[in-house]
Amino acid sequence: MDKKVNVKICIGTLCYVMGGSELQLLEEHLNDDLKKRVSIEGTTCLDYCHNEDNGKPPFASVNGKCIQRASITKIINQIKKELE
Amino acid sequence: MKSTDKWFIEVDSFQHSKHNMHVCGDVFLSRKVKDQNRVVAILSDGLGSGIKANVLATMTASMALNFTLENQPILRTAETILNTLPVCGERKIAYATFTIIDIDYDGETRIVEYGNPSCLIFRGNKIFKPEWKSISINTKDTQDKTMYLTSFVSCKEDRIITYSDGISQSGIGTKLMPFGWGNNEIEHFAKDQIRKNENISARSIAKSMVMQAWKNDISEPKDDTTCGVIYFRSPRKMLLLSGPPFNSENDLKLADIIDKFPGKKVICGGTTSQIVARVLNRDITVGLGFNALGLPPESSIKGVDLVTEGILTIGKVSEILENSTGEDIKPSSPAHKLVMMLLKSDEIDFLIGTRVNNAHQDPSLPVELEIRRSVVKKIIKLLEEKYLKKINLEFI
Repeated sequence: MDKKVNVKICIGTLCYVMGGSELQLLEEHLNDDLKKRVSIEGTTCLDYCHNEDNGKPPFASVNGKCIQRASITKIINQIKKELE
Repeated sequence: MKSTDKWFIEVDSFQHSKHNMHVCGDVFLSRKVKDQNRVVAILSDGLGSGIKANVLATMTASMALNFTLENQPILRTAETILNTLPVCGERKIAYATFTIIDIDYDGETRIVEYGNPSCLIFRGNKIFKPEWKSISINTKDTQDKTMYLTSFVSCKEDRIITYSDGISQSGIGTKLMPFGWGNNEIEHFAKDQIRKNENISARSIAKSMVMQAWKNDISEPKDDTTCGVIYFRSPRKMLLLSGPPFNSENDLKLADIIDKFPGKKVICGGTTSQIVARVLNRDITVGLGFNALGLPPESSIKGVDLVTEGILTIGKVSEILENSTGEDIKPSSPAHKLVMMLLKSDEIDFLIGTRVNNAHQDPSLPVELEIRRSVVKKIIKLLEEKYLKKINLEFI
């Protein structure tokens, strides 16, 4: 069976105001093939923001891997890596 | 304030101006006096219609309200009002009616009527007729100046319905009711409304009466129509939780309070909802999607009626409460949903965690994130003063 990728988008206040709100559009940017293999969900604060080593918000996680300064392009690149 | 626990006194009104008039000549005023445990409501109908009537009625209602709150003897209040009102240029008399309803939170109720149709008192869905005493007022005018007084002890599920003569005389001259709607028919109508829905709100009854009068007059009311309703009912309670406890030892307490609370439950804040979900061992489902105000989407936890983001949402709630009249709010965002719930409740407990999220204080953030405590205080002030809610505030 094809590998599945789980994407979590932080909708905590900080990530949201730092641009996380746009990440909710992720699904619209996925091609049909990726859409079938990716599940997208919202999440409350992932706690990445309380440790500077994690980088800057907004955060998302792809299969549990932290993405800092997340953008739709960055998330899609990570999804593709996961599927390799 | 223990005695208020047994019921909540809901006061609301609805009115419609005479056809083609922009200003209503009837005035309904009410005030809750917290430290005296008292509710006073006044209905006044000014002579004529439009601005002139409104001025007369506003003067009468505010004098009646303030004199009553100052515990002035009723006769003196009435005489002062009638001697103060300006004389109408056309009719050469000074006139405005009034009904004063003065209620102690333990139920002691006094009603004084002058010139208005007699109010209806319902005990459940049965009409209750207390004894009325008449008193004449001494003024220079020759016309009938009799006031009617009554006092009784109200019970839970009592309703007092007062209305202006625009309602009782609505439909006058029509084929269906040549002599107007009339007090007997109005009593039947009100009884019917209560029978159909025994928990009907004060505002719904008032609105249904005024709209029926509007229909009776074939959508062109011949007089100003106003109905004010007072309803003694069980309080609708709500608990709003926002913010993590200052000491995390209190996490258990927080979750326990929300779990056991009898009434509507709301959590504002991601971290707070995580704490509750963790302690109660329940899942949080986070929604994704856009809403009217661009706020973070709501989530859900089993057993909690609404879960939203924290500071951005309550900031918007405070804005909505400040700028609206509470009517025609649609659930177009989590903040709107929360406002609707707040306005539907009578007693709201705020349990506010005071731990500050340091990440929110970063000066490089694109928006200013306020301190929760100050926003909540603003919301509470609005709810108490503008929307007459009973609020309990506790910090944790």
